[in-house]
Amino acid sequence: MKMSAAKVKMRGKKMRNQPSSVQYVESSTQNGGGGDEGPSSIHPSTKRPTNTNQRGGWVRGHQKDGGGYSREMPKYITAGAFARARAAEVNTMLKAVTKTTGSCHVFGALPKHMRRRAMSHNTKRLPCRLREVANRMREKSLQAGPKKKKEQAKSKSRKARRRHGNLLMEFNRRQRKNVWLETHIWHAKRFHMVKKWGYCLGNRPTYKCYRSCHRAMSSHCLLQDLSYYCCIELQGEENKLLASLSELTSKETGPTFAAALCLSGRRQGSVVVYRAGQYPAQPLGPVTFLWRPRSQDLTNRQLWIWAHPTIKQDLLLELQKVCQCCDAVVHPVVTPAEVFPSLQLEPKPEKNSDGKKITKTKRKLKFKDANGPPAKKVLGDGTRSPNIPVTWKSSSKGIVINDLTMEIVRYRLIGPQSCSVLAETMEAATVCNEINESKPSLWWPEQCRSKNKMNLHQQQTHVFNILKGIFSTGELPSGTVLGLTVDDPRLTLPTKKVKALPCVKHAQEVDEERRELILQGVPELCCQSNLWEQSVRNNVTDNKTSEQELNRMRNEVLVPGSRLSLTPPQGRVPILLVQQPGKQVGNEMSSWGAGWDLLLPKGWGMAFWVPLVYRGVRIGGLNMGVKHSQNKGAPHFPHDYPDCPSGVRFQEEQEAELLAKFKRSAKTRAEKEPKMRPPAKRTNYIKHGCLAPFGCPWQQLSEEWELISREGGEEGRRDCQSTAEADAVMEEMTSCGEIAETKPLSRFIVLRNRKSLRLLSGWCRPTTSKGQKSCRVGELPPLDSSAMTGFLTAHRMSLVWVRLSLLCKGKPELHAMVCVPTAEDLKLLKKKRGSCGPQEPLHRDYFKSRVRRRKKEPKKAAESSWCSDNTQGKESVFSSEPNSITTVDPKSSSSDIILGLWPDPLPSITSHCSRVTLGWVTQGDFSLSAGCGEALGFISVTALLKTLFNQPMEHRGVFLLRNPTSLHYRFAKINIEV
Amino acid sequence: MTDQRTPGMSTVPQTAPVLTDSTSLAVEMDPVEYTLRKRLPRKLPKRRNDVYVNMKTDFRAQLARCQKLLEGGGHREICVHGLGLAINRAINIALQLQASSQGVLQLAANTSTVELVDDLEPEDPDEASEPMTRTRNNSAIHIKVFYPDPQ
Repeated sequence: MKMSAAKVKMRGKKMRNQPSSVQYVESSTQNGGGGDEGPSSIHPSTKRPTNTNQRGGWVRGHQKDGGGYSREMPKYITAGAFARARAAEVNTMLKAVTKTTGSCHVFGALPKHMRRRAMSHNTKRLPCRLREVANRMREKSLQAGPKKKKEQAKSKSRKARRRHGNLLMEFNRRQRKNVWLETHIWHAKRFHMVKKWGYCLGNRPTYKCYRSCHRAMSSHCLLQDLSYYCCIELQGEENKLLASLSELTSKETGPTFAAALCLSGRRQGSVVVYRAGQYPAQPLGPVTFLWRPRSQDLTNRQLWIWAHPTIKQDLLLELQKVCQCCDAVVHPVVTPAEVFPSLQLEPKPEKNSDGKKITKTKRKLKFKDANGPPAKKVLGDGTRSPNIPVTWKSSSKGIVINDLTMEIVRYRLIGPQSCSVLAETMEAATVCNEINESKPSLWWPEQCRSKNKMNLHQQQTHVFNILKGIFSTGELPSGTVLGLTVDDPRLTLPTKKVKALPCVKHAQEVDEERRELILQGVPELCCQSNLWEQSVRNNVTDNKTSEQELNRMRNEVLVPGSRLSLTPPQGRVPILLVQQPGKQVGNEMSSWGAGWDLLLPKGWGMAFWVPLVYRGVRIGGLNMGVKHSQNKGAPHFPHDYPDCPSGVRFQEEQEAELLAKFKRSAKTRAEKEPKMRPPAKRTNYIKHGCLAPFGCPWQQLSEEWELISREGGEEGRRDCQSTAEADAVMEEMTSCGEIAETKPLSRFIVLRNRKSLRLLSGWCRPTTSKGQKSCRVGELPPLDSSAMTGFLTAHRMSLVWVRLSLLCKGKPELHAMVCVPTAEDLKLLKKKRGSCGPQEPLHRDYFKSRVRRRKKEPKKAAESSWCSDNTQGKESVFSSEPNSITTVDPKSSSSDIILGLWPDPLPSITSHCSRVTLGWVTQGDFSLSAGCGEALGFISVTALLKTLFNQPMEHRGVFLLRNPTSLHYRFAKINIEV
Repeated sequence: MTDQRTPGMSTVPQTAPVLTDSTSLAVEMDPVEYTLRKRLPRKLPKRRNDVYVNMKTDFRAQLARCQKLLEGGGHREICVHGLGLAINRAINIALQLQASSQGVLQLAANTSTVELVDDLEPEDPDEASEPMTRTRNNSAIHIKVFYPDPQ
C-alpha cells in the first residue's frame, strides 16, 4: 500500500493516543481472523506477523491480498481462547472510541456539522453536556496563560462614544500621528490600511480584485486617492523663479521647469529634482509641476510642485536654499483647523519636556473646556501644530514659498473611460444671478457679476462638453490641463450605482471641434481656474453644504428620489483637471493607463468621491499604484529610485521587513507561536547562491564592476571573447584587487541622461516585449571598443533602469538576479527557442555546521574564530569596506548567523554564481498587459556594455534572470526605454 | 481602431518634419531634433460583432475568434476592421472565413481613411520650440462578413 509521507505523518498524529494494535497477542498463533488453533494455524502464523509489523495498526479499506483472512474456515474453536480474544478486541475498541483524536479541545468530540464559530471562546455555543468540561478547560487555560491581560480602563458606553462630538474627538486623536485623508473612513471600511509616510493609506482592498482592477485600468476606470501627495506653491517673478529652479534640474534629463509648453500653463510637466547644483549626484526624486497660466491682472507667476511626502522636507529645504527664502511667515492663513487648536496635537515641545501624565491630564481638561464649541472635523493638515510655519518669504528675490500640504485633494482616475466618468459625474456650474443678501461672502455670485469671468466659464464649459465625446483618454495630448467650475456632484447622485459609458455623437461641427481639441489641446485661457486662489479655496471649503442639510433638502422634494432641482448658491466648486499620460515609452501598449487627475479644494473630498464611485469605477490602493506604473513602464517613486534618500530608506525598510519575516519563522519555532513556518519550508539562500535575497547592495555591485572594467583596461586591449574569460578576469580581480583602495570610489548614480540612455537603448537591439520582432532604430554609432570606453568614462559607477521581459516561462520576483548567459547558454537558446534555460548548481552551505555548533555550545567567543578563518581569499577585498552604504542589515552582523543567509561581509557579488551577476530586479511580476513575466530592475552600465559588446548580434540584449528562491535561470530580453 | 504598426514612440531623430497642421503653419523648421511619438488612433464604441485586426495577435487566433462569433456567437454578420499594415490581414481573414463556409458567407468591403495624430517633441526642451502635432492619413478597411438573408 502506498502512502505519501505527509499522509503517514498525519496518520501518526491521529493515532498517537490510540492503541497500536487490536490483536490479542497472548498466544503466538492467534490472529484477528479466527482465533484458530491446531493444524490449520500453520499458514497464518508464518505470514501474519510480518504483515502486521508493516501495517502497524489499523488499515482502512479492503486489502488486495485478502487482508490476511484465512481462506480456510477453522475446523474447531476453543471457546475460552476465542472469548478472550474478542474481549481484548472489544476493550481496545472501547478505549479507542473514548479517546479523542487530534486536538484535545472539548468540541473535538463534536461532529463537524455541530461545531460553531468561536466555540472555545463562548462555551454557550456548545451543547449542554459538554459545557461543563469546556468551562473547566477554559478556566485552566486562562490560569495557565502567562500574560495577564491588563485590566482595561472603563470606557464610556457605546452610545456615548458614538455621539458625534465624541466620535470626532476620538477621530482627531487617532489621526495625530498618521494623518487621515478625507476618504479615510470610506477606505478603512474596505481596505487594508497601512501607516506610511505619516499617513494612513489604503494598501489593497479586502476583497479580491487584482484582475478586475487591471481590467478597469485597461478598459474602464480605476480611482485612486492621491491626496497624500504634497503640494508646494511658489510665487514670484517668472525669470527669478526659473533661475532659481534651474539649479535643481538638468536639461540632460529631459524637459525642465522652463519647458515652453509647461510654462504657459497648458501642460503639466514632470522632472527629477536634484540637490542644488549637484547633478548627476544626489537626486531627490521625481516631482510633477503645474504653472498657473498668465493673466493680465497678475504679474507674479504661481507654480505648484507636487511631490511625494517622503521628499517633501528635503525639497522644501532645497527650495528655500535656491530661492533664498528663509524668513518664515507665521500665521499667514487662518485655516479652520487652526481655529480650534485645542483639539489639535499638543505642541510637541511641551510633550517632550513634561512627563506624559501631565499632558494627559491637560488634554482632558482641554477637552472638557472644548465642550462649549463642538468638536470640529479636522480638514487639511490638521495635525500640524499651528506654530510650524507654512510660508516662507524671500526678501531679496521676492519669492514666496507656500506649503499647501493637504490643502488640495487629488484624485487620480486611470483608464480610457475616465473622461466619460468625469463627464457623467460633474456638470459645469450653473450661473447664479440672484443676489443673496444674507450670505454676501459667497464667491460664485460675485463671479457671476463679472462678464469676463462668465465668458471664461462658458468657454471652459464648452471644452468640457467636447470632452464628453472623447472615447479614450489617451487621445488627448499628454498633460493637458483644464480648469472648470462645477456644481456640487452630490446633487446629481444617482440612486443606484451605474456604469459610465461614453456617448460619442457624430455631428460635423462637434467632430471639427473635437479634432481641434485633440490636436491642440485645451487653449491657454481655459487652463485658468479659481482653485489657484487661496481665498476662493477657503471660501468654498467653509461654505460647503453639509450632508445633513443636503439630506433635508432631499427630504423636502415632492417626488421622493427625484433630482434636486435647485443648486444652493454655495454649491459650486472650482476644480482642475490634469491629464496623466499613459505609457509613453516602448513600442507596445502605448498610452496604456492614461487618465485624469482631479484637483479639488480641501473639504470636498467625500463630496466628489462617492459620486465617482457611483459611476462604476474600481478603487485601487497603493499596491495598484505600483502595478500601474509597472505596466506603464514608469519608475515608481520610492521603489525605483535607489539613489534618492527616500529610495534608500525604502530599501532599508523593505530589507528589515523581509528579514524580520524570515527570522520570525525561526523565532516562532522556539516560542511555539501559531504562525510557525517549519525550517524545511524556508529557503536556504546560501545553497541557492543568493547573496542578498532581501536587499540589493548596489554600491558594492557598481564598485565591483568598476574594478573589473579597470582590470580589463589594464590587461590590454585584447577583447575577451566570452564571459568565461570575463570570469577569469574576475578571478584575477579578486586575487589582486587592492587597487580599490588606491582611489576612493564615489557613490553610485542612476543614469538619467536622455542622450546616453537613447544610445544604450539602441545598442540593446530593442525588440517587442517577447523579443519576437526587432524595432527600427535610427542611425547609431556602432558598439565598438572606442565607443564603449568613451561611454564608460563618461558614466562611471552608474546604474541603468531596465525592463526585462521573459522569453518563455517564468515569473520574476523581487530581487531576482540579472545574469550574463554564457556562450553555451546562447547556443542552447539558438537551438530551441522555447528552451527553459540553464540551472545553477547547488551551492554548499558552509555556515550550517557553524550554526549547529553554536546552537549546541553556549555561545561564546566562537564567533571571532569563524569570522577570521572564513574570510579568506575572496572576501578579503570587500571585508575592508566600511563605506559601503547598502550592505546588509546590521542585525545580521557576525554576532548572530541566521541559517540560510550570508553573514555580513558579502563575498564578491558578481562572480558568486556560475553566471556573472549584473544587477537585480526591483519589481517583477507576471504582466497582465504584456502576457509574459516582466521585471523592472537596475543593472550596472559597465556590466551591460561589456556584455553587449561580447554578445553576437542576434543575441544582443538576451540575459538570464534567476529568482532568489530558485536555481533555474530564465532567458529574458532587456529593453531600455527612453 | 488600433494602429497595427506598433503605435508608440520611435526614437528616430526627425529632421524638419513636414508639417500638415490644421492651422497650416508652413514654417520652415530648423533641424532641431524631435522625437516622434504616435498617439493612439481615435477609438469608437465597439459592438460585440466588431473585430479589430492587428498584427500582434496570432493570425489563427483572430480567425478562430471570427469563426466563433459567426458560428457559436449567433451573429448573422460581423465586421472586420483593419488599419494600415493590417489591411492585408483583415482581407485574408475575411476570405478565409468565406472559403471555410463553402461560399455561404458573403463579403462587403468598405474602405476609409483614418486620421492619425503624431506628437513631435523637441529634444532640447528649453529652446522655446513648442512641441508640435501633425496629422497624417492612413487607409483602413471595413469588411462586413454576413449570411445573406434567406429570401
